[in-house]
Amino acid sequence: MIKLLHVEDDADIREIAEMALSLSGEFDVVQCETGEAALAYVENYTPDIVLLDMMMPGMTGRQTLEKMREKPEFANVPAIFMTARAQHAEIDELLQIGAADVISKPFDPISLGDQIKAAMQKAGMTIAA
Amino acid sequence: MLSVKLKSDTAITAALGCGLAAGWYGAASGLLSGAAGNIVPAAGAIAIAGFLPAILAARNSGQNAKNKPRPGESMLKQLQALDQHAGINIVDSDSLLTEVNDHLLKLTGYSREELIGQHVRVLYDDEARSVTDLIRGNLQRGLTWQGETQLRRKDGRTLVTQATVIPLFDADGTWTGSISARTDVTETSALLAERHSAQTLNELRDDIWIVDAQTEEFSYLNGPAKKRLLMANEEYLGKSSTDFSLAHEIEAVLKACRALREKGEVTTQFESVLVDTPMYISIKFLPGPRGAGRYLIVSTDISHRLEQEQRKSAFISTVSHELRSPLTSIKGAMGLLLSGSAGELPDKASALLEIAHRNADRLILIINDILDLDKISNGQMDFEIRDVDLVELLHEADRANAMLQQRFGVDVKITGADEPVLLKTDPNRFIQVLTNLMSNAYKFSPPNGCIILDIKDVGEHVCISVKDEGQGIPLSEQGKIFDRFADMTNSDRAAKGGTGLGLSICKAIVENLGGTIGFDTQEGVGTTFYFNLPKSEPSSNAIDEIDVKRIA
Repeated sequence: MIKLLHVEDDADIREIAEMALSLSGEFDVVQCETGEAALAYVENYTPDIVLLDMMMPGMTGRQTLEKMREKPEFANVPAIFMTARAQHAEIDELLQIGAADVISKPFDPISLGDQIKAAMQKAGMTIAA
Repeated sequence: MLSVKLKSDTAITAALGCGLAAGWYGAASGLLSGAAGNIVPAAGAIAIAGFLPAILAARNSGQNAKNKPRPGESMLKQLQALDQHAGINIVDSDSLLTEVNDHLLKLTGYSREELIGQHVRVLYDDEARSVTDLIRGNLQRGLTWQGETQLRRKDGRTLVTQATVIPLFDADGTWTGSISARTDVTETSALLAERHSAQTLNELRDDIWIVDAQTEEFSYLNGPAKKRLLMANEEYLGKSSTDFSLAHEIEAVLKACRALREKGEVTTQFESVLVDTPMYISIKFLPGPRGAGRYLIVSTDISHRLEQEQRKSAFISTVSHELRSPLTSIKGAMGLLLSGSAGELPDKASALLEIAHRNADRLILIINDILDLDKISNGQMDFEIRDVDLVELLHEADRANAMLQQRFGVDVKITGADEPVLLKTDPNRFIQVLTNLMSNAYKFSPPNGCIILDIKDVGEHVCISVKDEGQGIPLSEQGKIFDRFADMTNSDRAAKGGTGLGLSICKAIVENLGGTIGFDTQEGVGTTFYFNLPKSEPSSNAIDEIDVKRIA
């Protein structure tokens, strides 16, 4: 099972994503509503991958990742951003700061799991069959 | 000297209608006649002109002999002075010039021979000739006419005069002509006009500079310009950019002026920052004689406009973002339902969900298009130019449209793509344009139709085209096909799922990439949309040029 931490402030989108990721049965999903909650959670939990919404009240997805990266065990955890403002420049910038992928909203729930696995492989992770 | 014969002195008396003394004319005759025994009405006329206010005042107040001017030494000197000061002419009842004094010849540049016998209109500017009829009408009724007249010198230059024209009558009271005294007020008039213009220009909010094109010295700054450039009163006169404390900023504008002349153009407009204020600057070269000329520079403060545009953009961006979040849930939920992840759905429910899902997609397209258009109009659309293989991108666009291909049952053929076509362009924007054109081709193709995607080398450009077998574009719609919402006027087209913005976005993108876009169409046969991209790297100012056009 792939341990995935999903940080998203919109409850409906969290539910859709959880349902979409449960389709393949390959993901063990933990969800947080804010960046702050996610940071508290990762004190005792290190996921295989983080799925971060960019625009959230309080800490943005980017700020959340920067804080997470301060923890040594988080240095190599791939992160995927989800954004409703997918500009080429912004996507490139996120990829440059180490994002494994950037998924535009609205996303396709059916292919979401595959997109995440592809990003993990691109980041050099081996996914157990 | 002026010399005119008149039947009797009483004629002048009649002309004046104010009972001037005969001796007065007699005195004048010695000065101006030269012909013994002749009454010299010109002298009288000059006197009339010179003493006109007094004469008119006397007439108007009914005071006659008591206040009559008394000729004498002093009078003769005044008449001499008047002859020197004013241009005087006499015309007969047919308005033909019979006498002119030297001063008038000097003012107009004509010789006496050229004027005598000519209609008085010869002295008038073309635009002012109708005034002669007005004057004549007054004179025939025995009225004196006073006012500004615009004459034309022999060399064509305009001469503005302040004129007094008095009717002449003979002893029987028959109107015989008139005498005019004219003072040159051309310079005064020009100065007044200039002062009036300057006062008006000071009231404007825009900054106005006038700079000599050769010396680059300032010859005019209106009030707002003086304030911005920290110049008090007229201290800017004759100064060049280096004399200003804001030399650097002024130099940037003058550089644009020089570039304008080097290109042989007359006007240019651009946006720039002047003394920390965003300005829209418009330059016009006003040519002068022998290669000289002046630059007229008008700068408008656009900070308020930019602020409004930024607010509008922020609003559009926020609204679009806020729309995307619920759409993510709507589309995600429907996608999951359609995938069967919540269990099997009845056929009718599936069909209805398909419709909802498809329209959610359309809503997303509209939001994306609105965002793109907003970026284009603000010159904020980002472009990333890199080395790409257009053939590879052609296939990628084809793959991206696979769903549409399936939905509309249309076949796609790619031609001319046997070898890579390498170019520097923005791959994402290229695919965006191609996808849009292909999506239109699918929508308007008949079932089982065929779309041909073609790429070919056309010299300095590469031409990419999308050909469909649709109904073609009616002539009435062809001229506005790249306008926003052009295809939304046709309900059938709207039903095909277009946003009405796609082609205008394609045009803006292609032009920003330094290319051109167009189409060939034949009703009942089909349409080919094509765009050309330059093989050389898109010029760095392509976007700026588009921006300037937008502003203009």
